[in-house]
Order: sequence, then structure tokens, then C-alpha cells
Amino acid sequence: MDTSNTPPATAAPPVEDQRVWKAGRLEPMPIRKLPDAPPSVHILGPTVFLVALGVGMGESYMWPRLVLLFGPEIRWLFLIGVTLQAVVMLEMARYAMATGESIFSGAARVFKPLMWFFFVVAIAVYIWPGHLSAGAAAFEEITGIPWVVTAVAGLILVGVVFSLAKVIYNVLENVLSLLIGALVLGTAVVAAMVGSWGDVATTISGMFAIGYLPAEAMSAAWFPVIVGACAFAGPSGMQQMWYTLHLRDSGAGMGVHMPKVRGLRHAGEQEAMPSRGFMFDTEDPAEMAKWKGWRRWVTFDALLLFWGITMLVTISFTVIAQAAVRQNPDVRSVIQGDDREVALTAMADAVSSAGSSVLGTVFLGFIALIGLNATLGLFDSFSRGQADMTYNFVPGAKKLRMSHLYAGFLWGVIIFGILILLFGPADGPSGILDTLAFLSTFAMGAYCVTLLLVNNRMLPKPIRPKWWTNVIIGFGAVFYLGMLFYSLFAFGVVVG
Amino acid sequence: MDGRHSLELALPGASIGAVAGAMAGGLTLFAGLPTGVAALSALALAVPLAVFGGLYGVLLGHGVFRPGTFGPAGLYWMAAFPLSRLLQESVAGVGMADGVLGFLAYQAMVALGFAIGFVWMHERLMPHWLLRRAGANPRAEALLGLYVQYAQALRARKGAKR
Repeated sequence: MDTSNTPPATAAPPVEDQRVWKAGRLEPMPIRKLPDAPPSVHILGPTVFLVALGVGMGESYMWPRLVLLFGPEIRWLFLIGVTLQAVVMLEMARYAMATGESIFSGAARVFKPLMWFFFVVAIAVYIWPGHLSAGAAAFEEITGIPWVVTAVAGLILVGVVFSLAKVIYNVLENVLSLLIGALVLGTAVVAAMVGSWGDVATTISGMFAIGYLPAEAMSAAWFPVIVGACAFAGPSGMQQMWYTLHLRDSGAGMGVHMPKVRGLRHAGEQEAMPSRGFMFDTEDPAEMAKWKGWRRWVTFDALLLFWGITMLVTISFTVIAQAAVRQNPDVRSVIQGDDREVALTAMADAVSSAGSSVLGTVFLGFIALIGLNATLGLFDSFSRGQADMTYNFVPGAKKLRMSHLYAGFLWGVIIFGILILLFGPADGPSGILDTLAFLSTFAMGAYCVTLLLVNNRMLPKPIRPKWWTNVIIGFGAVFYLGMLFYSLFAFGVVVG
Repeated sequence: MDGRHSLELALPGASIGAVAGAMAGGLTLFAGLPTGVAALSALALAVPLAVFGGLYGVLLGHGVFRPGTFGPAGLYWMAAFPLSRLLQESVAGVGMADGVLGFLAYQAMVALGFAIGFVWMHERLMPHWLLRRAGANPRAEALLGLYVQYAQALRARKGAKR
């Protein structure tokens, strides 16, 4: 099928299909053609965002730290966390590709307050510039430039880039792609130079020590840290929900019928955004065959790019950390302390003194790179998500263009971030990041529940998830919420 | 003439390999190691990685690999990356803790990660390079045709939204 001649969906041309799919109480979705799927072997796709966002502090710091403290056996929890996230990714993609709507709209179709809950959580969690400061602190270690300066400059840069961009998605995709590529290549080269077969063998075998939890891990001091690390295995917080916006904007599945969000300078060129998505004819075997193609495509993305890269980066960083302790056993006691900057520096120093060069600088360089990725990705995604919800569900917001709302949220979060960095409770980067953890873990449990409701109630029967997928997502809800509340009631501490 | 046409296809892969190899050495220098040692170490990794990266591009042009497929590229690097590292270690290394076999096994594993990064970058750079060369180089033109074919569905849809 050639979709290139399809007129903008909002024009409602007379020849179009008049049938609709009713989902929830909101406006029904018109039936339209599903575009052809790209060949699944070909590497392209918005997973790059998820990888960019997901490979962060969890992989580079939290898990290596836990491995040094409790031994490689603790990594079975990581395997569960990342695998769970891969399934969540596939399920998020199911709704987004079938309708062209974000998961937020799906949540609103089920129960509007559910969507408003995520709207509020996003603001509470993501306006703090904490994620940015860790990378900036690493940059300070390398260059001596004070981290506040780097962080503020980074914030302004992000705002300017996204405001000038013609089509935001393309810019972000290109920049993030190169950064991620550099990160993956660099991590592989560094791991190749510092690690050994022994490190990898213990790291990998540790992933299958299912059920292992040493006594000290079950303490008020460490259990919350483990909960936090599980939440940070792969994309954390609301990142998976934002992924549905990227799928829509990259034209995956029915997202093809939705216009793209443009940068502020090109806002005038944007077509009006329809207030609902579309559905394809799930009774038509030809359409279902195309749907299978899209599912194959996203599965390939989920397994190789997302699962593979997340695993690679974590294993590499763990190997680097193990090498660090071998060189300098004092690192272990430093890492036990609560101060992340000190721990990162100690790891970097130990890696440097390993004689096998430099790797300390490389290590910090990667932390800075990860921080930059997170900044670009998070700010964009946050603004996109809030703009999406505001546009569709705040009365009167449709008078504005989506691009204006996007710019409003983007600059709002940037200005707030700068004010916090300059005048806020500036007790160092870690202080800000820790507040994130509770709400962010809670949101992950909540989106598992949301996914179950949305995919099983708002989609036509033929494309609903299989029972075993539902079991895994249900397990996810229990896993995140259970650990969070166990930590809260047993130890009186939320997340570390 | 055909040799030159094939060689042109090697440029993106060779650049990625060279940069990846030089990354280690360049940062070594930054961290304060003697310039000579850093340069030698960087060169000893950058050169073989560039050669193998370039070869990948040439083989792609001859249809041995298909654009963007990961499996064959992963196998290719599982052989090429350990060899490159072995060369680096023998020229400017500090000795192998696990013996040669353990070393090679470990490098082969890391190579899979390297391959993901390599294919990823190659897929981003190659089409731009082919667009430049397609006019004067029939091999580049043929390969570009393949890329266009793969990307057509996506491009057409993107264009429709303008």
C-alpha cells in the first residue's frame, strides 16, 4: 500500500472509510489503512530514545556498585528488571502503533483521572535537574569547570536546539544516535582493554543466581538501594510512556496519520493535530499481516537494541568496576558510602591507576556523556508528554499549537532547573536525585496496571496481548509496587 | 577502476574503526601517559579496526552483507575485533592475564557489543556518503539503491506529512 498520497487525516476526504472503533468514552477512532512495516532486519527506529534515556545512572553506577558490595550474584535482579522493561516496551508499542495515540490518551480513555495522575507525577519527578548534575559533576572532574556552570549551559543549549529545530524528532534522533553510537563503541573498546574473561564469567553467571539476597541486603540501609536500582534497570520512571510519543512522531504504525511536532521557530508550519488516533481494520487479513510486520520490527528493536545495548553497557561498567577494586581494594569501602560523586571519582581513580592507562578519564567521560544524553532526552520527552496531555485534555488548549505548548513546557522546565541549580537547595547533585526515586518507582508500577487496562480494554480483540504477556506485565506491577511498599513498611524508608 | 569504486565504499567503516581505536589512545594521552606510548597504543588498535571496518563496507558493496543486518556483521566482528586487539596487545600491551585463549574468548564477547555500535554508526553514515558518491561510482549507486529500497516506505510517509 502506498500511503504517500494519503491526505492529512483531519481533512476527512469523502472517499475515506467511514467506520470507527469505539474505545472508552472519548471520541471514536476512524478506521484507516495501516502502512507497511519496514523490514525488521533494518536498524532504524525510535528505540534510540529509549536506549539513550535508559542507559543511565542505573547501568553506569548503581549496578556496578551493588555488584562490588554484594557480589555478582545480585545481578539476577538486574536481568529481571531489564527483561521486564523489554516486555513493557513491546506492550507500550502495541497501543501506540495500533492507534497513533500516546499511552496517556489510552489512559484517559480508560479513566481520565489516571492520565492526570501521570501528568502530576511527571511534573513532580522531572522538573528537578538532578539527572543533569551527575553528568556535569563528572565533567567537572575531567575539566575543572564548576558543575553548576556546565549544567546551566547545558540547559540553555537544550532549549535553543529544540526551539530552532524544524522538525524536533529528526534533530533529536540524529544527535542521540551519534552519542549512543559513540557510547556503545567506546564502552566496548574500554571494556576490551580493562576486563578479562574471569570478570565477565562472574558477571554473567551472577545473572542466573536467581533468588540470591545476602543478609545485609535485607537491611534498612541497603534494601531501599536495591529497590531503586531495580527501578533504574533500563528506562526508569515515565520514560517508557514517553516512548509512545516517539513512536507516534516517527510515524510507526498508525502514527503515520499524525502530524509531527515542530520547533518553536517553525511552529506556524505545523498541521492541526487531531484530538484522537486511528484504528486499522483488524478483520482484514491483509491489514493483520502488516500488523505482524510492525510487531516483528518493534520486537527486533526491543531485543537487540534495547536489551542488548543495556546489557552490554552494564556488563562493561561492572567489569570496569571489578577491575577498579582489584587494583585498589579501598574503593570498596568508599563505594559503600552514600556519596555518589566520591564513589564515582574513586572508581575513576582506581581505573586510572590500573596502569592500563587512562581509563579513569574515559570512565568519567562516559558518565558525562550519559548525563548529556539523559538531559537531551528527558527534557524533550517531558515537554512532549505534558504538551500532549495539555493539548488533548485541557479545555481551550487547542487554540494553541502543539509546538507552542511544547516550547512552553520546555522553557518552563529549563528556567525552573536553572533557578534550582543557582538558588535552590543546592546540597549537591545526589540530594536532588534521591527525591525522584519514590514517585518514579511508583509510576512504574502504575503504568504496568495502566498498560493492562488499556491494551485489554481499548484495543480490538485480534490485537490484544496474549495471556502470558499480561502475566509478565502483571508481575511487573507486583514487582515494582511490592518492593516499594515492602521497603516502606518493613524498613520505613522509601527508595535509596 | 572497479577497485577504486570498491575502496570508496570502505571510507565510512574505516573512519568508524579508526575513531573507535583512537578513542582509547586519545584519552590515554589526555590522562597523562607519555605521548609515545599513547600514540602507539592508539595506532595499534585504530589501524586494524579501520582496515576491518573498511573491509566491511567493501563487502557490503559486493553483496556479502546486507545493509543493517546484524547477524553476519556480529559474526564478522567476533573474528575481526579479537584479532585487532591481539595485534594491539602484541605491539603495545601489558600482557594477557588469562592467556591467549581466554583473552580471545573475552574479546570475542565484547566484539558483539562493538558490532552493535559499529552497525549502528555505519547505518547512519553510509547513506550520506553514498549520496555523495553515487554520481561517479556505479557500486555506490547500486548500494544506495538498496538503501533507498529499504527506506522507501518510511521516506514516502515522512514526505506525505510536509
